[in-house]
Amino acid sequence: MAELLNIVLFLPLAGMLAIALLPAGRDALVRQLSLVVMVVQFVLTVVLYANFDGSVAGLQFESRVPWIPGWGVYYQIGLDGMNVLLVLLTAFLGPLVVAGAFSAITKDVKLFYAMVFFIQFAMMGTFVAQDLFLFYVFWETMLIPMFLIIGIWGGERRIYATLKFFLYTAFGSILMLAALIYLVWTLQSTTGVVSFAFADLYQVRLPLPAQTLLLGAFALSFAIKVPMFPLHTWLPDAHVEAPTAGSVILAGVLLKMGTYGFLKLGFPLFPDATREFTPLLMGLSVISIVVGACLALVQTDIKKIIAYSSISHLGYVMLGLLSLDLIGIQGAIIQMVSHGLTAAGLFLMVGMIYERCHTRDIAHYGGLAKILPVYSVFFMILTLAAIGLPTTSGFTGEFLVLLGAFNAAWPIYQAGDAFPLTMAVGAVTGVVLGAMYMLWLAQRLLFGGTKAPHLPITDLNRRESSILAILVVAVFWLGLFPQEAMRKTELAARQYQQMVAGTAAGSKAAVGVAAPESIAARGGTR
Amino acid sequence: MNWQAVLTSMLPEHLLLAGIVLLIVLDLVSDRPRGALAVAFVAVAAAAVAALTLALDGYMAAPFAGQFSVNPPTLIAKAIVLALVLPVLLLSRDDFADLRFHLLLLSSLYGVCLMLSADSFLTLFLGLELMSLPVYVLVLFAFQRPDSPEAALKYLVLGGAATATFLMGVSLLYGGTGSLALTAFGRALGSSNAMAQAAVVLIVVAFFLKAAIVPFHAWAPDAYEGASVPVTAYMATVIKAGVLLAAARLFATTPVGRPMADMLAILPLASMIWGNLAAIKQTSFRRMIAYSSIAHAGYLFFAFLGAGAGRLQAVLFYLLAYGVMNLLAFASLPRNGDDVAGDRITSLKGLYGRRPFAALMLGLSMLSLAGIPPLPGFVAKFLIFKNVIAAGYTAYAVLGLVASYLGIYFYLRVIQYAFMGEAAAETGPQRRLALSASVICLVPAVLLAVFPGWFIERL
Repeated sequence: MAELLNIVLFLPLAGMLAIALLPAGRDALVRQLSLVVMVVQFVLTVVLYANFDGSVAGLQFESRVPWIPGWGVYYQIGLDGMNVLLVLLTAFLGPLVVAGAFSAITKDVKLFYAMVFFIQFAMMGTFVAQDLFLFYVFWETMLIPMFLIIGIWGGERRIYATLKFFLYTAFGSILMLAALIYLVWTLQSTTGVVSFAFADLYQVRLPLPAQTLLLGAFALSFAIKVPMFPLHTWLPDAHVEAPTAGSVILAGVLLKMGTYGFLKLGFPLFPDATREFTPLLMGLSVISIVVGACLALVQTDIKKIIAYSSISHLGYVMLGLLSLDLIGIQGAIIQMVSHGLTAAGLFLMVGMIYERCHTRDIAHYGGLAKILPVYSVFFMILTLAAIGLPTTSGFTGEFLVLLGAFNAAWPIYQAGDAFPLTMAVGAVTGVVLGAMYMLWLAQRLLFGGTKAPHLPITDLNRRESSILAILVVAVFWLGLFPQEAMRKTELAARQYQQMVAGTAAGSKAAVGVAAPESIAARGGTR
Repeated sequence: MNWQAVLTSMLPEHLLLAGIVLLIVLDLVSDRPRGALAVAFVAVAAAAVAALTLALDGYMAAPFAGQFSVNPPTLIAKAIVLALVLPVLLLSRDDFADLRFHLLLLSSLYGVCLMLSADSFLTLFLGLELMSLPVYVLVLFAFQRPDSPEAALKYLVLGGAATATFLMGVSLLYGGTGSLALTAFGRALGSSNAMAQAAVVLIVVAFFLKAAIVPFHAWAPDAYEGASVPVTAYMATVIKAGVLLAAARLFATTPVGRPMADMLAILPLASMIWGNLAAIKQTSFRRMIAYSSIAHAGYLFFAFLGAGAGRLQAVLFYLLAYGVMNLLAFASLPRNGDDVAGDRITSLKGLYGRRPFAALMLGLSMLSLAGIPPLPGFVAKFLIFKNVIAAGYTAYAVLGLVASYLGIYFYLRVIQYAFMGEAAAETGPQRRLALSASVICLVPAVLLAVFPGWFIERL
């Protein structure tokens, strides 16, 4: 089975080369081929997911081949509970991105699909990499196709937006590179082991000042990607200027790289520093939740509303990870996937209406429910999923995160520190604000007097409604049967919790491990 | 003297010399000599293959004891430098039908090879001058713009200053130690004697001048802009490689102590920062590449902060990645009749629409020069900074990495023009030789990106 993961990883690269070799001008063929390759990748990933055993610790489907032997760099990939859902999400969104761009992209079609494959390869690689060098290579590689996708097929201010995106994210990465080299060198000089493997690097125990600096470097890189307040300013520009496919990839998968980075590397590598700075990071997460929501409230561009809502929703993920409560951590993982589904769906829907009316200004729209009934139904479902209505994936994620945050905060509050509890309460206001901006958007867009820039406009065609139907099924699947996904991630969440909280005996650490009951049991009693 | 050792160990040089003689003969016997490019290409390719074969055989010899010696690492270095010239030759077809170009190029290359095997300052000086003198002429050769003579003169004067500084340093060293052997430099590096230190500083400054390190860089932008494309490509890759490899020979594995290490860190750091910042506002492509090469010289000198054993490996890998990608960029440039107009970065606008392959190659080379993974430039930079951190200079490494970040913008701007701009005026027909030059560069570039470990083990 290990070969299967390699095939899943390299299939997009093969697709890219195949497209490059196709003769120019065969745009329809390029589109079909892309869709087929993406669907095959998804099917293979589902096989992997089905065969993934949540009760086994450690890596599954692992491959390990020397890459740069002299430096101890291995091509090491594998699935564990942390990345399995995200790999599934990436493969799931692939065909939808490709199909969603069929009518929107008419210029340089070959290059476009080649870049979509390229970024699919890089994102997949970032998730499955188990070697820090490999991870960094994939992490940075992602910038290249995204730079071109926004810069070539984007809107009016695309050059500005794409340069801002690249330069912002590259700055974080540069410092992470320095930190990474330092970390590996420390491992080498203290133990004599020359290795970039995550498993080896987890063993490094640095003194607190060094940990703080390194966490700062890693966190800067990850926080820019998430993005966390105040490093979020590249996101609205990138989202607004990106073509629909670019926005879907950005919101669906790329932003999760940041939170995944914290989950897999940032916090477990530097647990002491993480605990030291939990209040600061938690505060920033809650500020992200609230500020993102408030900014979404005042936008007039539909795409910007969704963009700012991403900042808010990923704040929950960070809060869940920082709560160090098992439920919160699992909620964070679910919330990552959930946001990937809802944001991808909403961006696709914005793209669909933009293709018809060529404006994203809310003031130009109204009463679409009457003229576009199918569109409106899907929009409403995704809106409700985004605000966390029960039975949708958004509810599972947000609820578990908030539950985890309160679980973790309550004993600390009783011990005399009200800060975590305040943060948890603050995060709840984000839910309210989220309902406000999303419902208000739906109201202005779908209801009231019929208004659109130019009438008549046609409702969704079969391709578009199929894409959205598939997404909606996934949203309900995660909302109704979260146990299935949570069983696969539980062990990994527990490991993360132990790595970050379990090393030293502090009040916060004690809280972290005080929730040993099975999550599945709790979920059942809910 | 062992003639067989002389013949074998200097085989690459002999092959170059044979090429030079053949070119001269060709010039004498024919009024309109043809086939100069083929002769030069075959001579250089044969020399590169000879160097590589000897290296793989593990050949070691010192035919002129204390002056000239070869061993596998120096032969590998020679093979790399010689191989880098092959795309330059293919590129030159459009600019130089003239045989004298090839003659001068091969002579300069002979100097580089000599330098890489030098054991004494005498041989080193001989090689350095033989390398530089033809290039002064080449900058001026077949000049296409009015400021070329000025650029050549500037280069000549500053090159002369470098020679003078070098000689002064060497004479101080000789005065102090009574030896012209390169190992005297290593001893002086660790010495606290004022005269020895002055000698070291003078020699290092001479190398800084040759490699265009801030504040000794002023000649480079003018020379690069004033020269023709193949000559600029030659200066940016082969000359830089020659100077840096000579420096690597000089420093060998001697550890660099504190006061010298600071000089070796601060001036290259200034080069990185200034090179990357000044490149941003350039409108001429070659001038931009000149500033880029100033920054890259900075990274390269950082390699000497690292521990002795890894230096040559880091320098070689960097030069290979940097040279290949730089030449790939030059090979992908569209050309039209007017040199000044064709050199403007804005002339790259819409290149993807006109020449998709050239645009993709240009994009790859820019990203590699910026050090973005998975391109070879990243591994090269990683290797250097890894050694610097391992040697304990973490602060310098962080500053260097931040300085390298400053360089990303102007490389991206080239990609932005090539891919995101509206198409500019149509350019001339596709040139087959330039295309083959880019393929010659692309193959090693891909190999360097996919199997960096294979190369690192063998350097």
